Amino acid sequence: MDSYEAIQALHKSLPPFSPYVPASLLPHIALVLLASTFALAFYSSTLPKDTLPLRETAVASTASILGGFGVVALFCSVGVNV
Amino acid sequence: MLQRWRTAPLLLVGLLSPSFTLAGPAFENTAIVRTVELGGSLVHVSTTYAVRALEPGQTVYQIALGKDEREKTSWIEAKVKGQQTSLKVEELGGDIAGHLLAVTLPKTLAVNGTINLVLETVQTHAAYPWPERAAQTDPQALKYGTDLFILSPYQTQVQRTKVKASSPTIHSYTTPENVDEFVRDGSVTKSGATITYGPYYNIDPSVNAEFVEKHQQEVVVHYNFDYPVLEVKKLQRSAEISHWGSNLNIQDNIELRNSGPALKGQFSRLEHQSQTYFHTQSAHVVTGLTQHLPPGIRNAYFYDLNGNVSTSRLRTTPSVPKNAKSNQYSVLELKPRYPILGGWNYTYTLGWDAPLEDSVSWDSKNERYIVGVPVMTLIPGAVVNEAEVKIVLPEGATDVEFLSPFPALSSSVSTHTTYLDTTGRPAITLEYKDLTDKHTGTIYVSYKVSLSAHLKKPIAVATAFFGVFAFALTARRVDLRLHKK
Repeated sequence: MDSYEAIQALHKSLPPFSPYVPASLLPHIALVLLASTFALAFYSSTLPKDTLPLRETAVASTASILGGFGVVALFCSVGVNV
Repeated sequence: MLQRWRTAPLLLVGLLSPSFTLAGPAFENTAIVRTVELGGSLVHVSTTYAVRALEPGQTVYQIALGKDEREKTSWIEAKVKGQQTSLKVEELGGDIAGHLLAVTLPKTLAVNGTINLVLETVQTHAAYPWPERAAQTDPQALKYGTDLFILSPYQTQVQRTKVKASSPTIHSYTTPENVDEFVRDGSVTKSGATITYGPYYNIDPSVNAEFVEKHQQEVVVHYNFDYPVLEVKKLQRSAEISHWGSNLNIQDNIELRNSGPALKGQFSRLEHQSQTYFHTQSAHVVTGLTQHLPPGIRNAYFYDLNGNVSTSRLRTTPSVPKNAKSNQYSVLELKPRYPILGGWNYTYTLGWDAPLEDSVSWDSKNERYIVGVPVMTLIPGAVVNEAEVKIVLPEGATDVEFLSPFPALSSSVSTHTTYLDTTGRPAITLEYKDLTDKHTGTIYVSYKVSLSAHLKKPIAVATAFFGVFAFALTARRVDLRLHKK
């Protein structure tokens, strides 16, 4: 473990944190992702009922993943920084 | 170098006392000057020792503090006069005669070598209101007591103590007795707002019970103090780091108390309004506080036990990059819901968001993040009795290491759960006590967050969504009709 002065100097000299997604884009990303989630969810509800629901599961998984990122982006854009 | 102080009980250390008082004639103090700047909750004491070495090869100089003085002191720093770097100070413990500190000199002193050392200390809860109760329009007066003689394990040729008050209205000060053998002119003089005790000549090594019993005495100064005496009974700071939102949220829960003279009689709103109108505000009434917050903050909130307090004004300054040296700060003028009179308390919560880029750095060599969180935001002139700083790291943070700028009473790592958490986030809690205006350092924490840990949140929400879809899938295939035709 470094000494306090060493960590202080290191912290000053290192580059700052940069997020995966710039914070200013988050509201727009949230809108796009959640709209797609809604559209895909609607689409999955119109699919025929097969015995092995492959297509439905595929659409549902895509919608879930988009929804997951969309909800995280939504939370951050309204101020609840998760 | 970092100074260290411990709050170990003196009882335990007192068992080791017999070995301390025999420092030997290794040094001689050619002059000691102690300057006491009187304040409300905080008293700053600066002592300059002009030291001459009597024996060769000396590396450690011992400084003594009175027993009561050491108990009240919460910041100790030793420097060579004129230089900025602190020297290493080690506590040797003490007994009824005095408490010893060992200061490591920057370089070895030869025989007859001289050096000027400055010991700066801050005492908390040292001054008390006198009279203890005051009406709304009365002035505020405090009493401060200190030991007359500066103790030292070495011979002192001359020493003096200057007590400086902030206003020239000094009601009384003690005249020392039984000091004729050290005095040439007068034992105490007053000039304006400064009282000088001394000079006292030819004092033998004084860290022993007989000197303390025979000569050491308490001198008390009774002075007017024209600023509020503030005390933060408890400060709870929580700093939450969000990588997805690129945000650092800092929230302070503060229990503020006006520890000036308690209010005598009733609080008259009429009297208070006329004082505000005619600008003849009493010294011990707190109507507002000004705080300097970091630059680039947004979404600040200020509420108390009743709800949001709208009587505040925030003027922000633009965000300053982490590496830039800048004196910019945002100014927040807080006005509590009611004026805080002597003895009254006010509990409030103040919080803000700041961009994470200003506080967190990325170490690509070790693949870790380093964050710097300030211990507290200074309330000028106030002492913080108890402080608890909780730093909440992102979910899935590993290899957590932290460094505090000054020793903490205790530190612990726990799990904190908040929105969209599955396994919870690591939270570091550090506890401090008796913080002064010198304790405004930064706590550094280094931690690692892998990509999979970052993705935990979206995956958790995606799983919840998929659960809903899976339910919908099965629900589509269940026939709940009553009549099947």
